[in-house]
Amino acid sequence: MTRNRLPPWLVLLLPAVIIILAVVAIPLVLSLYSSFTPYHLTRPDTLWKWTGSFNYIKAATDPNFWKAFGRTVLLLTIALNAEMLLGLGLALMVSKVTHGQRALRTAMMFPMMFSPILVGFQFKFIFNDNVGLVNNALQSLGLTDVAIPWLVDGNLAMFAIIFAEVWTSTSVFAILILAGLFALPQDPLEAAKVDGCTPWQSFRFVTLPFLMPFIYIAMAIRSLDVARAYDIVQVMTNGGPARRTELLWTLIGRTGYVDARMGYANAMGYIAILLSIGFTVYFFLKLQTARRELGMGD
Amino acid sequence: MAQVQLKNVVKKYGAVGVVHAINLDIAEGEFVVLVGPSGCGKSTTLRMVAGLEDISGGEVIIGDRVVNDLPPRERNLAMVFQNYALYPHMTVRENLGFSLKIAKRPQAEIDRAVDEAAGILSLTPLLDRKPGALSGGQRQRVAMGRAIVRHPDVFLFDEPLSNLDAKLRTQMRVEIKKLHQRVGSTVIYVTHDQIEAMTLADRIVIMRDGHIVQVGTPLEVFENPVNTFVATFIGSPPMNLLEGVIRAGQVVLADGTAIPQPPGLNVAEGRKVQLGIRADNIMPEGHALPPTAHMAFVEMPVILTEPLGTETLLYATLSGTEMQAKMLNPRPVSAGERMRFGIALDKCHLFDAETGNSLRG
Amino acid sequence: MATASQHRIRKRALKVAHFAGLFLAMSIICLPGLWVVLNSFRPTVEIMAKPPVWIPESLSLDHYRAMFGGAGEGGVPVLTYFRNSLIISVTSTVIALLVGMAGGYAFARYRFKGKGVMFVALMASRAVPGVALSLPLFIIFGRTGIIDTHFGLILVYVAMNVPFTIWLIDGFFRQVPKELAEAAEIDGCTRWQAFWRVEFPVARSGIASAGIFAFLTSWNEYALASQLTRSATSKTMPVGLLDFTSQFTLNWGGMCALAVLMIIPALVLTFLVQKHLIAGLTFGGVKG
Repeated sequence: MTRNRLPPWLVLLLPAVIIILAVVAIPLVLSLYSSFTPYHLTRPDTLWKWTGSFNYIKAATDPNFWKAFGRTVLLLTIALNAEMLLGLGLALMVSKVTHGQRALRTAMMFPMMFSPILVGFQFKFIFNDNVGLVNNALQSLGLTDVAIPWLVDGNLAMFAIIFAEVWTSTSVFAILILAGLFALPQDPLEAAKVDGCTPWQSFRFVTLPFLMPFIYIAMAIRSLDVARAYDIVQVMTNGGPARRTELLWTLIGRTGYVDARMGYANAMGYIAILLSIGFTVYFFLKLQTARRELGMGD
Repeated sequence: MAQVQLKNVVKKYGAVGVVHAINLDIAEGEFVVLVGPSGCGKSTTLRMVAGLEDISGGEVIIGDRVVNDLPPRERNLAMVFQNYALYPHMTVRENLGFSLKIAKRPQAEIDRAVDEAAGILSLTPLLDRKPGALSGGQRQRVAMGRAIVRHPDVFLFDEPLSNLDAKLRTQMRVEIKKLHQRVGSTVIYVTHDQIEAMTLADRIVIMRDGHIVQVGTPLEVFENPVNTFVATFIGSPPMNLLEGVIRAGQVVLADGTAIPQPPGLNVAEGRKVQLGIRADNIMPEGHALPPTAHMAFVEMPVILTEPLGTETLLYATLSGTEMQAKMLNPRPVSAGERMRFGIALDKCHLFDAETGNSLRG
Repeated sequence: MATASQHRIRKRALKVAHFAGLFLAMSIICLPGLWVVLNSFRPTVEIMAKPPVWIPESLSLDHYRAMFGGAGEGGVPVLTYFRNSLIISVTSTVIALLVGMAGGYAFARYRFKGKGVMFVALMASRAVPGVALSLPLFIIFGRTGIIDTHFGLILVYVAMNVPFTIWLIDGFFRQVPKELAEAAEIDGCTRWQAFWRVEFPVARSGIASAGIFAFLTSWNEYALASQLTRSATSKTMPVGLLDFTSQFTLNWGGMCALAVLMIIPALVLTFLVQKHLIAGLTFGGVKG
């Protein structure tokens, strides 16, 4: 009855590792391979033709790809920053509420639980130029008498998408930051007050540093599924009109499934995957550092 | 009830040794306290007896069985944890009866055992509460109750009182002692608090850095510490130690003060030593000096006083070393006052200055 | 005492601003959903009306009746989609929980080399964008014949949910002091018993919320489902929602009704998990 024959942690982790290898890792190897071929869905034999880095060079020289890439990065930067700031603001406001806070907190979580596809649809409806809530409201209030083409104009469509994205995900930040605010020890805050800090200073030098790990958790969680934005865009504009809201993910989807050019789509997919993984790893490492700094590590 | 033997027991984490080949015989019904500073290996030793840690070498014998490879459940022992480890999802009654239920005893027997234990520890009115609704002292009692319900061969206590406040700790100490007198089981008790060790133990095992330094009854280790570590660890305030050299039967301190060496000791001329004097054995003149023929006198300036009521603790300096002395029948003393102190030499100790080992037989 | 009254005014102004800000934020959070719910009860004519009808004149269950009756509204087999979603989500959640419990326990209770790397690697696997992953999966599933089956999607969702489930459950097990299991072992339990009789019940509510979260992820997933399902035999509701847009006339009311059908379980479950979810994330994340 020795306690360590095969390390128990390995036995326990094995099912998880196996299933992830099977469903994620192996397909990724396949997709890496096919990204070096001109694989076309309708012509299976093309899978065996090695073309080297042809697809990657094609992607790198395709202005459509770079536009989509840039737009994706821009969307994420704006959306994540807005989510963080709004989340922080929302959390601070909710934390000050004394009555009915539980109800507020629950309400705050709902958007997070909506299917992204549903969010996309919901905002497609709301921003609809003809029957949408936004235009109806603007027109009824007499602010405008023409229908604003929210999802047709490129910039407005980007705005609508970012709005939808921020709407779903702000709560991730708000909720975790709120949890941080509740866990915030009162002593340092009181000490800061006694030391003569203004409310802003105690927020800046006591509260905020304490909240950082919580913000990183939120970032880490978000980084796990930034690609959820794909679903939203897919429904709202599907990359249109005329590619003006094309993101990396919609471009990949279209190239792979509509044009059936799998090899090329996989090559672009790989770039998107590396981007996502890099993003995730970055925030998990940040999270670990922040933990260590606050002395909350293992 | 059973005896417990540790034979050359070793614990290693990788290449790092935590417990180095310790040997210990614990008799049936004996109350043994493992004491030492944190990191000395006392808890690890206890957990090896419990079966919660692998034993890297040597043997642990409970009763007449080598238990090295037995899981905890087959060792028939009970353990009280520092944080009590009560099952939060069970009521006090379920907590107490859990081990019997696991052993598939009949419900009637479980009820009887639980009621009995609850009676002993006055937990009866709390039986239907959950641990979350109990105070620290009550949780502590439930943890003890859970241990006695099973009538184990050996009780293990891992710093059970360290989460209680000072007053409750004293109270629970008494309860633990009463409990031991009542059930009479073998007890191994781990603590870092020497007062707990002194008051509870039949025998104290003092550990340091994974080694056993000294084993003995509380009075033995108090009166005959084998080295300066035990001397300063056991007893409060800690023993005063003065560095000096033996010259013509006297301990000559750095500043030239000479104190006769304690009687009955034969120490080579010129040997570097440490003279150990407990605060109880150095007292200001005129304040109930103990009657002894071997009295030496020194004069010291008092730097600080701590009045404790029946006595006052005086801090003074001698040859650059801070000393603590007890003043019985205290009078007010002001800092800076020079006083004459009597030292009861027959109660003093000599240690080798380098090894710290006692020079007494 | 000018400063005192200034203080009071400022305090009051802050209070008003606080209330207004909160009200605005909550409106933005709640209105879109409420609007969808409202429209699911309104006849199409009223939804399309110009100028808009603000105060609903006639509420009806027409869209729901159409959805559940016969072949479903606009030929969309909503009930079949609902059933597919339910089967796939529940099964994948149960499996993900079992796998996640084992993995989470390993992370919470054992120290081993490369633990941090392992953890981040697991999480990174979750970060692979659905669309990008769906391309190779589409090829493999097509070859192995599990495309457009419940099994295929369940497999994918288990893999997708495992990392996050591990993260949450790790956090919950960390909250359970290791001494509890030790005490149980001393009380006569085997390790297996100690887990199921002590550690599991103590962490139960947390594990349940990890399960609910996994369920919602599967329930809501679109990117993979949209490529790996083809027909009513395995299409889930998020995919089915798009059936409405492929018609020539957009049936907003019908979509809204289906949306409500999707939202209700999400809302109920969110309400159940909210407390534990935060606890799990923060314990696993911060104190890890």
